[in-house]
Amino acid sequence: MKLLIVEDEKELAASMVSYLKNENYTCEVAFNFKQALDKIETSDYECIALDITLPGGSGMQLLKELKNNKKTDGVIIISAKNSIDDRINGLRLGADDYLVKPFHLSELAARINAIIRRKMYNGNNIIRFNEIFIDTLAKEVMVKEEPIELTRKEYELLVYFLSNQRKVISKNALISHLWSQEMGTGESADIIYTHIKNLRKKLHEKGCGDYIKSLYGMGYKLTDQ
Amino acid sequence: MKLQAQYNKISIASTVLVLLIAGAGYYFLLQYVLKDQLDETLRVEQVEIQDFVQTNHLLPPATTYKDQRIEFKKTDKTFPQSIKTLMLYNADEKENELSRQLDFPVEVNGQYYIASVTKSQEATEEIIGVILLITLGLIILLSILLFFANRFLVKRLWKPFQTTLSSIKSFDLNAPSAIKTDKTTIHEFNELNENVSMMTERVVKDYLSLKQFIDHASHEMQTPLAVVNSKLDVLIQDPALNEKNLQDLQVIYDAVDKMSKLSQSLLLLARIENNQFSEKQEVNIQLIAKNIIQELDEWISERSLTVNNRINDLKVNMNPQLANTLITNLVINAIKHSNKQGNILLRSDKNTFTISNPGTQTLNKARIFDRFWKSEYSDGTGLGLAIAKQICDHYGFLLQYDFKERTHHFSIIF
Repeated sequence: MKLLIVEDEKELAASMVSYLKNENYTCEVAFNFKQALDKIETSDYECIALDITLPGGSGMQLLKELKNNKKTDGVIIISAKNSIDDRINGLRLGADDYLVKPFHLSELAARINAIIRRKMYNGNNIIRFNEIFIDTLAKEVMVKEEPIELTRKEYELLVYFLSNQRKVISKNALISHLWSQEMGTGESADIIYTHIKNLRKKLHEKGCGDYIKSLYGMGYKLTDQ
Repeated sequence: MKLQAQYNKISIASTVLVLLIAGAGYYFLLQYVLKDQLDETLRVEQVEIQDFVQTNHLLPPATTYKDQRIEFKKTDKTFPQSIKTLMLYNADEKENELSRQLDFPVEVNGQYYIASVTKSQEATEEIIGVILLITLGLIILLSILLFFANRFLVKRLWKPFQTTLSSIKSFDLNAPSAIKTDKTTIHEFNELNENVSMMTERVVKDYLSLKQFIDHASHEMQTPLAVVNSKLDVLIQDPALNEKNLQDLQVIYDAVDKMSKLSQSLLLLARIENNQFSEKQEVNIQLIAKNIIQELDEWISERSLTVNNRINDLKVNMNPQLANTLITNLVINAIKHSNKQGNILLRSDKNTFTISNPGTQTLNKARIFDRFWKSEYSDGTGLGLAIAKQICDHYGFLLQYDFKERTHHFSIIF
């Protein structure tokens, strides 16, 4: 699967590529409007991460271009502008999601995964990891063919981990994923810890492997290695 | 006082004053001239009598004709002639009349007589009275005329000013339109209109560039923060990192989070100040409070707090996003600064929202809503309450803090 990253800040683009590329994804990068336009016209991408302010033009213009050419590439806008107008405009022009800078790469990966799942209808709203099986449409989780009851936060955590397999996710990324506003870092960490503990317990009870590892409490990682 | 009223007052007062002084002067001058003329006729009569005596060596007959009377009285000796004003009874009019009398000596065959020529002053007084009446009438008429003329004229003269003023009053920075002015030949108004137009153009331009500045500031700050964040996210993937490294990285993460929150809050403050949340609709505070409490439920139980939500139906006309931020900031503030096992109470009446939480001592009332003011126990940005205050100020709501019976009370009066 091919991803396109349109971002004029080269270091940010480099981090995004380094984080996103894996056995499933290849990443291409465009640093300005013209490069992006060339790439969009010549190939199809599963998902495009699109910055709005670009040298040589606006990301909104690229969105219009995609729409005019009846392209079905998924698009997530990554913008420094946290304005409702921009968000509405972007979504109206056919973008699938809108992410405000600064963001965590794990959040970007989770959202790109969600877009790609939605784009591919043929049973691909399914996430599978060893014995874990999630139907994201029905929001159902099965372990070894057996359904498992999770709270909303536990479910969100599990999907987030599965979208960032084998990656260390910082506690801060988990906090900002689960809550739109944060209270105190200390307490949020405690609550996250409780949620993860409960999630691990519920998975373990169904005979699931213990995949979620803690890195001295500053981050977590879902891995089977 | 209106300019027109002020102008009317001065112009009418000065007109009346001038006319009164002129009237008085006129009165005295006229009286002097008429008396002088009366005295002159008395002297003509005197000469006639003296001539008659010289020619005929006898007194002319004493007469009373109309308002003139001639009388003779015997006297022993001669005396200097005199003229005086006195009250005399007029038999025809049957009343006392102000008269002028000239007494002079006449000698007929060695006998001295006092000759008195008297003339009534009544006619003169009447003339003066009429003149005075006319003057007074003129004063009143002129004042009334001036009053209405001023009203009409001044109103017409000031019309271009009124047009400009109402245009300024309805000027809205969020939907700027050119200031409407009337064409006028008056130099001052033209100058005013020109400058008002120039000023509004400049203000609109400044406002736009300020808005742009905010957008740019947001972009310029968020992007480096995004770079730092993304590098951290990549860095923690390194399996060679030890516990100490990870703890340091955690500190950097927290600092970046705080900085990003700080810049977001500052931008929000600037956007409220710049009136960039002009969209308004009816929002239900009851519903907003309920949702916020639900969302913050985990922190509430983490701190073993209880929330007693007694908010009734309370509808306010404002921007929904700002309404949410306002209530969220107050609820978060109450959660953060409650002692464990405390009880947070939310209540409302017709136009008031109050949130109360237990505390140990009163906070600095004068500074509590200042930007970056924090109590020593707070680990926040110091902007939460400042934003709440800014939102209330923006809509003309009153945000109050009170400390009573070991409880902090924050109230919004809508």
